Amino acid sequence: MTLEKLTKRFGATVAVDGLDVEIRPGRVTGFLGPNGAGKSTTMRMILDLDRPTSGRALLDGRSYSAYEWPLRHVGALLEAGAVHPGRTGRNHLLAMARSNAIPVRRVDEVLELAGLGGSARKRAGAYSMGMRQRLGIAGALLGDPPVVVLDEPVNGLDPDGVRWIRGLMRGLAAEGRTVFVSSHLLSEMQVTADHLIVIGRGRLLADAPLAEIVAGHASLEDAYYQLTDGSVLS
Amino acid sequence: MTRLRAAIGAEWTKLWTTRTVWWALLSALVLMAAGAGQYALYAGNGDLPASVFRDGLVPAGSIAVLALSFAQLAFLALAMLAMTSEFSTGTIRSSLTWVPARGRLLLAKCAVVAAVTFVTGVVAGLLGSLVARPLLDDLGTSAGVLTQSLKIGLYLAVLGILAVGLGAALRGPVLTLVVLLLLIVVVPPLLQVPDIAVLNAVADAMPGVAGNHFLEGDSPLVGLAIVSAWAIAAVLAGRAVLQRRDA
Ligand SMILES: Nc1ncnc2c1ncn2[C@@H]1O[C@H](COP(=O)(O)OP(=O)(O)OP(=O)(O)O)[C@@H](O)[C@H]1O
Ligand SMILES: [Mg+2]
Repeated sequence: MTLEKLTKRFGATVAVDGLDVEIRPGRVTGFLGPNGAGKSTTMRMILDLDRPTSGRALLDGRSYSAYEWPLRHVGALLEAGAVHPGRTGRNHLLAMARSNAIPVRRVDEVLELAGLGGSARKRAGAYSMGMRQRLGIAGALLGDPPVVVLDEPVNGLDPDGVRWIRGLMRGLAAEGRTVFVSSHLLSEMQVTADHLIVIGRGRLLADAPLAEIVAGHASLEDAYYQLTDGSVLS
Repeated sequence: MTRLRAAIGAEWTKLWTTRTVWWALLSALVLMAAGAGQYALYAGNGDLPASVFRDGLVPAGSIAVLALSFAQLAFLALAMLAMTSEFSTGTIRSSLTWVPARGRLLLAKCAVVAAVTFVTGVVAGLLGSLVARPLLDDLGTSAGVLTQSLKIGLYLAVLGILAVGLGAALRGPVLTLVVLLLLIVVVPPLLQVPDIAVLNAVADAMPGVAGNHFLEGDSPLVGLAIVSAWAIAAVLAGRAVLQRRDA
């Protein structure tokens, strides 16, 4: 996955400012940056939800919408989850599967995998935040995609859930998939990510292996504060 | 084609897995039955205009068409919400990651809404006629009921497409409903009241009045062409907005 001079402006705000990075398969790439740094906007542009002001995001040389069945190439969890509150989790995934000609049995597989087997027939509006998050992750895995994009997947998960998603991401990367994950939980990133991309105010601050970024600091947290010093919203 | 079929399958599942559709269809049938009953009683009291009579008799299907002025509101709500709920609940982001081609997503939604409003529209037409016929007694006739019901279904299918397209263009449920009501319910009578040729002609070009010409008038094809033109224009506007704006 490559981002080429990816830029997004909302009126006067530059949300993403000329990001030029490559995200490789076979490892977990953490995406860090203060609130408003442009992480979610970048991910939305990767999925062709937001149109870049300039530059582009390519997956194996093609844009997301150029894929015949995009869910089988890229699985994504976006910030809001975006599920209709009146629809059950299972029906949500069922519609999703139909849209990309994914076999229905895969729906029950990912529901089990995400630990939602018991609540699959409850309306999503009645889900707790962690359950909604699990449903979103189940959706990201539905098409068994080689690329996984997760926007703050750990949000709202209980300790078991946190450990589960950690193992899941490591496992996906070990299978040779591309895992691109944003998070504010630095301690979690320190044990999950192989590589980090750090941005502040839309600009690239670091793009390096975890070990390299942490080197010379007591922890990732220390390294992060030094990197983002001056980029934090005030 | 396979992708359009898959998108239609997803939209079909989405439509039937929230409660909105059931409430809207139930309301449509209740409004149709109640309206048809009321108009049939008017006919019995001699309160209907002469234009409703055919060879001295009132066709039950024409009573269903009169009652449609109420029932179509429920169909409009159904069609409009199928699109605008995507924006109000944020599911448009999910939908567009599943089907990134904006035009295909919109086409799939139109197909599903049109299919549902067509079939239930025919059912509503038959129901209205069925309620009206016994109340009309020897004033009424069942002639042409099936044709009239099929025409009601067709009109509601085109109207459904218009509502989906407009919903995509305007995005919010409230604004979309207001514009639909203005176009179909509010503005035409205001134009027709003064009975000036120019204003009447403008009213004839509005979707609801044109639909009425299609259902009851002398030149049904012109009426159908006008409603269809509205629907196509709304869908093109909706597609343009979906393509231009960030989700
Ligand atoms: N639809 C929008 N309209 C206007 N401005 C927007 C829009 N979406 C994002 N922004 C702005 O773009 C900037 C980047 O926002 P973004 O949500 O991408 O940040 P983030 O890194 O995901 O932050 P967080 O860590 O809080 O989730 C912010 O200044 C935000 O206010
Ligand atoms: Mg964010």
